[in-house]
Amino acid sequence: MSIGGIEGIPGVGGFTPFVPPTVPATPAVGGAPSVGGVGGTGGPDFGELVLDGLDRLDGVQRTADQLSVQAATGDLQNIHDYTIAATQAAVTTQVTVAVRNKAVEAFTEIMRMQV
Amino acid sequence: MSAFESLRIAGSGLGMHQTWLDALSHNIANIGTVRSTAEDAFQAQLVVAESREDGGVRVREIALSSAEGRMTYQPDHPLADEAGYVRLPDTEMSDQMAELIMAQRGFQASAQVTKFAQDTYQTAIGIGQR
Repeated sequence: MSIGGIEGIPGVGGFTPFVPPTVPATPAVGGAPSVGGVGGTGGPDFGELVLDGLDRLDGVQRTADQLSVQAATGDLQNIHDYTIAATQAAVTTQVTVAVRNKAVEAFTEIMRMQV
Repeated sequence: MSAFESLRIAGSGLGMHQTWLDALSHNIANIGTVRSTAEDAFQAQLVVAESREDGGVRVREIALSSAEGRMTYQPDHPLADEAGYVRLPDTEMSDQMAELIMAQRGFQASAQVTKFAQDTYQTAIGIGQR
């Protein structure tokens, strides 16, 4: 008996099964050196990814802020709309900070290298 | 598909149960609403839910119970007709209270899912941290 992944129940709809993200193949290390250094792999560089993440974080936080204003002014239709938006904003912030911490950690690790 | 699918789906569940609770509170508030026999009885709101293709639940429609109601003999009532009858809503308080508990428990279950989703995200953030 083989064990497959969890699949959606056919005909019922529902959520799409989890698909692990794939990374485009990178040229082998030591292969032909590409021009452009960090950006040479063809994908977006790390700085762009961080900026993109910050943009998204800004949007999520803005949504939560608008809903909190609605809650204060009495215009909020559903309480859970705000609490869910606030949770999303909090988790997204934590992810962004975690990524930043990792990047800084990697940088300091390299700086500590004995030459 | 965003990273917050479980939160969004749980949110749709919260929304549906919120609507259900609203409808039930409307029905219970009007449990004693009397109409004359010349007009329709108070019609209870029945929330019809359906699952969404992209996950979650939505309110398809809010159906209404029978307009005929329950003919009751109340000759003293100002709305009573010549025969002494009025129309009372065709809803049972006990049914509404039972549904109220179901809606409340469903809401709480969806809220619990948001808690678990948040815990899961925290676990994912904690991977690799020292």
